Amino acid sequence: MTAPRSPLHGRKLGDRRMVVDRPHSAYFRYAGPGVMVAKAAASAPRTALGRRIARVRSFVFGKPLTNAQDIEERLSKKLALPIFSSDAISSSAYATDEILKVLVLASVIALSWSIWVAAAIALMLTIVAFSYRQVCRAYPSGGGAYVVARENLGARFGLIAAAALMVDYVMTVAVSSASALANLGTAFPAIDTSKVLLGAIVIVAVTAANLRGIRESGNIFAVPTYMFVGLALLVVGWGIVNVITGSAHELPAPDHVISSEGQVVTIFLLLKAFAGGSVALTGVEAIANGVPAFKPPEAKNAANTLIMMALLLGVIFIGLTFVGLHYGVRATDAQGATVLGQVGQAVFGNTILFYLLQISAALILFLACNTSFNAFPRLAAILAKDGYMPRQFAFRGDRLAFSWGIVVLAAVAIGMLFIFKADTHALIPLYSVGVFICFTLSQTGMVIHWRKERSSGWAWRSLVNGFGAILTGVVFIVVATEKFADGAWMVLLFIPLLILMMLFVSHQYVASARQLEMPTSAAVPQPHRHNRAIVPISEVNRAVVQALNVARSITTDIRAVYISDDPQKSDDVRQRWAQAVPDVPLVLVESPYRALVAPFIAYLDVLDRTWPDEKEAPITFVIIPEYVARSWWERMLYNQASKRLRATLLGRSHTVVISVPYRRDDASARVAAEEIRPAGTLVATDDSRDR
Amino acid sequence: MPEASNPAFRRAVIALSGGPSDAAIVRLALEVARPNRAELIAVHVVELDWTQPLDADVAERSEEAQQVLDAAEGIADQLHCKIESVLVQARDVGAAIVDEAAARRADLLILGLSYRTRFGGDFAIGRTVPYALQNAPCAVWVVRQPKGEEPQ
Repeated sequence: MTAPRSPLHGRKLGDRRMVVDRPHSAYFRYAGPGVMVAKAAASAPRTALGRRIARVRSFVFGKPLTNAQDIEERLSKKLALPIFSSDAISSSAYATDEILKVLVLASVIALSWSIWVAAAIALMLTIVAFSYRQVCRAYPSGGGAYVVARENLGARFGLIAAAALMVDYVMTVAVSSASALANLGTAFPAIDTSKVLLGAIVIVAVTAANLRGIRESGNIFAVPTYMFVGLALLVVGWGIVNVITGSAHELPAPDHVISSEGQVVTIFLLLKAFAGGSVALTGVEAIANGVPAFKPPEAKNAANTLIMMALLLGVIFIGLTFVGLHYGVRATDAQGATVLGQVGQAVFGNTILFYLLQISAALILFLACNTSFNAFPRLAAILAKDGYMPRQFAFRGDRLAFSWGIVVLAAVAIGMLFIFKADTHALIPLYSVGVFICFTLSQTGMVIHWRKERSSGWAWRSLVNGFGAILTGVVFIVVATEKFADGAWMVLLFIPLLILMMLFVSHQYVASARQLEMPTSAAVPQPHRHNRAIVPISEVNRAVVQALNVARSITTDIRAVYISDDPQKSDDVRQRWAQAVPDVPLVLVESPYRALVAPFIAYLDVLDRTWPDEKEAPITFVIIPEYVARSWWERMLYNQASKRLRATLLGRSHTVVISVPYRRDDASARVAAEEIRPAGTLVATDDSRDR
Repeated sequence: MPEASNPAFRRAVIALSGGPSDAAIVRLALEVARPNRAELIAVHVVELDWTQPLDADVAERSEEAQQVLDAAEGIADQLHCKIESVLVQARDVGAAIVDEAAARRADLLILGLSYRTRFGGDFAIGRTVPYALQNAPCAVWVVRQPKGEEPQ
């Protein structure tokens, strides 16, 4: 209620006006007839503790953003490239090593095959990128392989793609942080003992940056990505010029070089090298998952960014392999002496550029996990909207980030680090298995998509995607076979478990929706059920009277129940009740075993059993009076039995539990305001109406 | 040609009628006020006839009246600006607007004017604008809608 205002007099005689209160305006804004929009103040915490927590949250994560600010948070192509591409582009730093490590098993001469293997991988990258470019345009709501498989192959295949991707995103975070720490460990051996803890700290830091929102995390992580891209292109370009001008000289063999085992160059060996180098493709799908994060036109911008990413990845990867081949670089077991490192040293020498290249490579390897932090929560949100993940995953936090997905990804990745003790060699076999499942499914899905759509060029498009599906399928089989015994079996076991979990969640949501479903055609009839109110009391006091008043507003069938283990006190309560509230029957339940909640529930059961079978069961309102103290620590002294009673009654059929709070401030004011009456003349007042 | 610049004002009252021109006036006022960091007060007057007392509970409960000012606040929020809103009940809109501008020591009063012709005849300016032009103690801007935007 607002205080009445007096009229204001105008400049001319008789002109009067009234300024009218706008009580809603601090918290809400009318947006149309019957529609109100909550302002920031409506969502602000009301307690001092809540406000302090909000200030800390605002300092750490930034000020909350409104839904309308979503468009401002969208990513430009410049910012999206480092956010969604750090995983893919970072793989160019080690993909050539993976090829050489396999080929060298045959002979040093066999290393010349590396350029052909790299070319084949680049071809596969082109096909996959081409396919995902079409996915961005055909499915602009995001979801990538999951949506393509769901729409074209069926929901089960969609779930396979989703589960495979989710596992891979978790592994990307665990592997990238472990491998960054391993690289750091070569420079600072002291950190080896606390790798797990440091890894966890690093993941928490990336989590915090992502919880600040996609644009802000993009600003944080853009510099290292662009620095790596720039330096990697420079080393490749400079190296090619050296090769063309004939100034590229073969390097001396580095330490810890992997020795040849004299194997014959077979198709299988080349396939193995192909599968090893295919890690370059991990992360390519991330952009297709996050199309809605782009500025409009979303699909076009995402598709163009994807092409730019594939182009950069392809050029750096092929370029490094080509230059490395001409400089005679070798695969080694030594940390830090990667192909990139060797080529960098050969081209730049021991200059600042070489050290910058190494630092940026370490940083981008580390930031590869950031792609997962953007792709995983988006995929989880789409799955949640489809009912396959808990709905919390679809909620966006204060900064419009999918906070649940981000936090869960971080928690699971930290768990993986602890389980595998941040050991890169133990984690890597689990990595890049799932991504080829989803590549295969998305390519197959696109074949069906083209065949269904029959738009211009559908025949050659489906042919390309079909070829891509076979290629990525083969890579999956090779990768899974190669890595199976080393740990890939865990991934292949975990993917079906994840699918089962998603199906279980979906089943639960479908079942609950069916139970809650209402007929759409007819209006809901008025209820004709009997209501009864039961008020459990601990003594006769103002809180109980207030609860009785609430009960009176619901029904006339009211009874109070007093459970006691003290007969003397029971008599006192009965006498006082008869004086104070003679119109409401009091049921006294002696409890010789001193239990409070169980006899009360038993009493309700007895009431239910005595209800005539031919009549519909009544709705029982259990109205619990609660004294609410001023501060949180005082509140621990009260209402413990009420809490237990509420918890026990939760889910009881035909029962509604109502807590009627009686605040300490109300009590003080009431006692001060009322005149003192003789005992037994307590007057019931309608406090609920005052509120 | 003299150099065009925004005339400086410290505090302006914008009279909102709830009509289609409101949004354009608010935007214009916000854009002009921004460089000078001038204060803006949006005023909407609910006119009561003599059958009701002046303190009748009309405007406070009227979603429609509240919405006029809420829409102005919404536009200000979009442009990251602030606007104060005042809801007034009065017998005469023009007098209430002028009195409110005077009471708040505004140095500018902005009013919107829909291009309205009655029964296909002459252009009708109404009562409020002439009153404000004659009686306001401060400068008055009248922002007339283009001819083509006459409300149906």
